[in-house]
Amino acid sequence: MEDFHPDSLGLRDFDVDGAVRETFEQCQQETRAGFLRLAAGAGAAAMIAIGARPAVALANAPSPHDTAILNFALALEYLQAAFYTEADRIGALHGALAHQAHVVGMHERDHVKIFKSLLGTAAIKEPQFNFRGVTGNPSAFRSTAVAFEDLAVAAYKEQAPLIRSRSILAGAIAIHSVEARHAAWIRRLAGFLPAAKPFDDPLPDARVVDIVNSTHFVTLRKPHTTSQTAPPFTG
Amino acid sequence: MVRLCVLLSQDQEGLRMEPEQAAQEGHRNASPLRFSRAGLFAAVLGALGGGAIGAELAASSGSPTQDREILSFGLSVERLQAAFYAEALRNGRLSGETRQFAEVVGGQEQAHVKYIIDALGSSAPKSPKYRFGDATSDPAKFIATAISLEQTGLAVYNGQAVNLTPKTLAAVARIVSVEARHAGWARALGNEDPAPVPVDAPITVEQAQRVFRPYIA
Repeated sequence: MEDFHPDSLGLRDFDVDGAVRETFEQCQQETRAGFLRLAAGAGAAAMIAIGARPAVALANAPSPHDTAILNFALALEYLQAAFYTEADRIGALHGALAHQAHVVGMHERDHVKIFKSLLGTAAIKEPQFNFRGVTGNPSAFRSTAVAFEDLAVAAYKEQAPLIRSRSILAGAIAIHSVEARHAAWIRRLAGFLPAAKPFDDPLPDARVVDIVNSTHFVTLRKPHTTSQTAPPFTG
Repeated sequence: MVRLCVLLSQDQEGLRMEPEQAAQEGHRNASPLRFSRAGLFAAVLGALGGGAIGAELAASSGSPTQDREILSFGLSVERLQAAFYAEALRNGRLSGETRQFAEVVGGQEQAHVKYIIDALGSSAPKSPKYRFGDATSDPAKFIATAISLEQTGLAVYNGQAVNLTPKTLAAVARIVSVEARHAGWARALGNEDPAPVPVDAPITVEQAQRVFRPYIA
């Protein structure tokens, strides 16, 4: 395995089409500008539910400040969960890669559940995604997953020290390290060193959003159903 | 790039904080008991069958003194890991990806040791001697021990994250995700899923010490 520099392989490399970016910008706008309004409607007790395991309530709804961070994390988890779930469903992956997509997909869906539960009614809605064939192409899937996971690690690392609630911080930290495990997992399957550097650096949210936007995986409207890309499931 | 040594040498009595961070600290300190029983941390632990960390979470709040205590413990973890990989490489019984793992991860642990020593300055504790037995010569035992050391190191860092001041947390977080990558890689070498659960359960310093103590000569 040769050394790998994340800068050499960005999500931009998979920008195969120039599609709509409004939805992610809307997420960002809501997390930044509209968070006070959204937080005002937050439920009194956000619930945590990891699958069928026992649920425990957070004593208070997250503060407006933490709500903005949680919604940012939720947007990233929506993206990852949709990506792996679609890859798993299409079934074009095989062997170790298929197993990775299946297991990591479950994790990302759990992360979505956790953040949605914490946010209650303040949670942003899931955007539409169009992965433009990447989830049905093992090689493109692998490269994109590497970029997504390294991006998630850097994004959480930037946000964690900004979280004010110690309980929410504890949860974010516990998810941050799982994202790093995911990154190591997929990097190894892609032939990269799982841990390429002794230190991982954070990435500001604006940069994260820029990178995600550049993929055009997030769409405002429903994907074109008349396009050559067949719906994964037609029943 | 934020350097721990800069952070900790700024002020021997107490870390200078930016107003924004001071406000955060105040916010955190203002309601230390609010989430003590029903917080996400406890929920995560409950869901994963962990211990009672909720009380510990409530009991502490970040301070420069506490930062140094946690960094000192982190140093002992990194030193033990670095010594383990160095000895395994000296023994020369590893091959293929396992050897590459020991080389790459061993080098990174040494970088972590230096990073934390720079941060602690003269208050850095001395390094003990270690005994790893045949865990550094038998490849199967090496992998099993590497998994244990990396899983434990990560879990105790995660457990202490909430006890750090925001600045030191930011500095330590640069190490923590690398430890998580090491844990994932070690597990892969042992034919285990690199990420076995959706949320990593933290452990206490005492729990970590029980794992590490047998390796201290």
